[in-house]
Parts: sequence; structure tokens; C-alpha cells
Amino acid sequence: MNRSQRYWADVEAGDELEGFSLDITPRRLALQVSGSQDWYPVHFDAAFARKAGHADVFVNTGFLQAALVRVITDWMGDDGFLKRLRFEMRRMQRPGDTMVCRGKVTARYERAGEALVELEVWAENEREGVTTPGTATVILPRRP
Amino acid sequence: MTEPAASSGTYDIEEVRRKYIGFETTVAMGRYPVEYDAIRRHCHMVDDNNPLFLDAEHSKTTLHGAVLCPPSGWLALYFASLGPWPAVFEPLFPIVPTPGKRIVNMSQEVEWSARINVGDHLSVRRRIADVYQKAVSLDPEAVWIVAEAIITNQRDETVCVITNTMLTHRTPEEQEQGARSQEAE
Repeated sequence: MNRSQRYWADVEAGDELEGFSLDITPRRLALQVSGSQDWYPVHFDAAFARKAGHADVFVNTGFLQAALVRVITDWMGDDGFLKRLRFEMRRMQRPGDTMVCRGKVTARYERAGEALVELEVWAENEREGVTTPGTATVILPRRP
Repeated sequence: MTEPAASSGTYDIEEVRRKYIGFETTVAMGRYPVEYDAIRRHCHMVDDNNPLFLDAEHSKTTLHGAVLCPPSGWLALYFASLGPWPAVFEPLFPIVPTPGKRIVNMSQEVEWSARINVGDHLSVRRRIADVYQKAVSLDPEAVWIVAEAIITNQRDETVCVITNTMLTHRTPEEQEQGARSQEAE
């Protein structure tokens, strides 16, 4: 993880955000419940999920959001501010998948005195492609 | 807003819409203040080792002067809600009647106004923004609920507004039972 502060003037549309990958293993599903405190069984009990018509369990919204937030906060540095994040759960991340999270800069502009950057962020896997597309608006500090 | 499909059976989507769209809960305060270890567990589920969220010594070197809560609407809502036990998945769920009791979140948008520090004490007010019926492969009579959660801190400042769209659906078994009931009527 790059710990340096990112400044607004140094960002350009097309820049890529460093991503990461996580294997969706039974251990990861246990971490998901611990970290999200989401006890809805569709996220850890395969029989419960299948009874509802799903092929298997799938990771929850809190897990996906934490992953997308990690992509953004690792990139923007301590003094950046996440102003908005929107994401959709279009497809699922299931046990056996390797979830890859990435992002890129789509625009840089000023509005009402704020130094803003627009991002696309997403989670994907080999089985489904992009599962969780998102967009975000970040305020970055100006270079001193 | 998506228009509701025609309802069938005894479930009257139009009556539900009239009764529940715009419904607001009272403000409820989280059981505990924002605390280190719940943040650590949240970060570690996705291998997030950012010291801004984990390291009190590092926080003293930042402009913020405190360990921050990651800007996750999910985590903000956790701290503004009941806390770790009893396990309540979706407090909105008992409010809006739906034919199916299974849930899938479809999208979420979080608008942030302020950072959250360890030690803050959050509260939440919820509002039902929309309810409609739209078919999905899981259930042709799935009911979608759009709910807003307005999170405030101990100074009554809004820290974020979360808009969550979820669908509720029946299991295949429940759909078969429903079809048999309709045939019998």
C-alpha cells in the first residue's frame, strides 16, 4: 500500500487505482460475518441460500463496500475525503471465486471551491466479470 | 421511480405504497460509541491495514488527531444501530409487509458530509423512500424497497445519508404454495 498523500493537481483522467484481490474461502466468509456483523444466513449457510433459489452463498453488501472503500482510501491518502460512493450488486462473489477490486480516475474538476475527482471502482471475478460496478466522488487536498 | 407491476393474490402493492412510502422512524442512538475493535474487524475482513483506521499512534501524526472509521455506510449504520447483539439484520424489514421474507441488497449510495472518529456516538433516522413490485428471476412478484438512513453524530451533525435498494422475494417453495392457494380459490 502506498502511504504517500495524493494531491488533486497530480491526478489525471485515466489514472488507475492500485487494486487487490481476495480469495473467497470459508475463512474469508467467517471474516465477513465477523467484520460486518451480518448474520443473515444467505451469506454463510449454503442450504439456506439454495432454499431461496441461489446457487450458493454469496458475500454481502458490507464486505463489498469495505473492499471498494479500501481501493479508494488506499489511493487518496489520509487527507482525502470520500464524498460519495454508489455501487450495485449485479452479480455475486461466491466461494471459490477470486474477487479482484480495481478503480480508475474518470474526471478531475473544481466545484464550489472543492477540488474533486470522479472515480469508477468495481469488483470482478473470472466467473462473472464485473459483479459490483461503482462510482465515487473524492475531495483531494491541494498541494501546499 | 419505477412504477409497480400489477399485484396478484392478496398482496396489495398499491395499499402498501400508500401506507409506507414516506414513513419515518424516530431517531435511535447506537448502543455503543464508535470503537476501535469493531473497526479493526471490519477492516481485516478485506485485509485493509490502513493505519488511519487502526493505529492510534499514527492518528496523532494526521490532521484528524484520532483514529477514523472507514467511510463505509455499512459500518456507520452498524455503529448507529443496535450493536453486536441481538443480531438484527434489517430493522426496516418488519415495517414494510412483503409476500417474501428473503432479502437481496441491490444497490447502495452513501453521501458523506463529515468524518467519523473513534469515540463519536452515532444515531440513525430511517425513511422509506419507495416501495414497488418488479419481477426478477428469483420471484416474479419480488417487492423492492428503497430506504434512506440519515446518520448523525453526538453534535447532531449529519455525517452521511445512505440510500439502500433491496428486493424481498419468496423461496421457490413459497411460490409453488402461493400458486396452489390461488388455484384452490
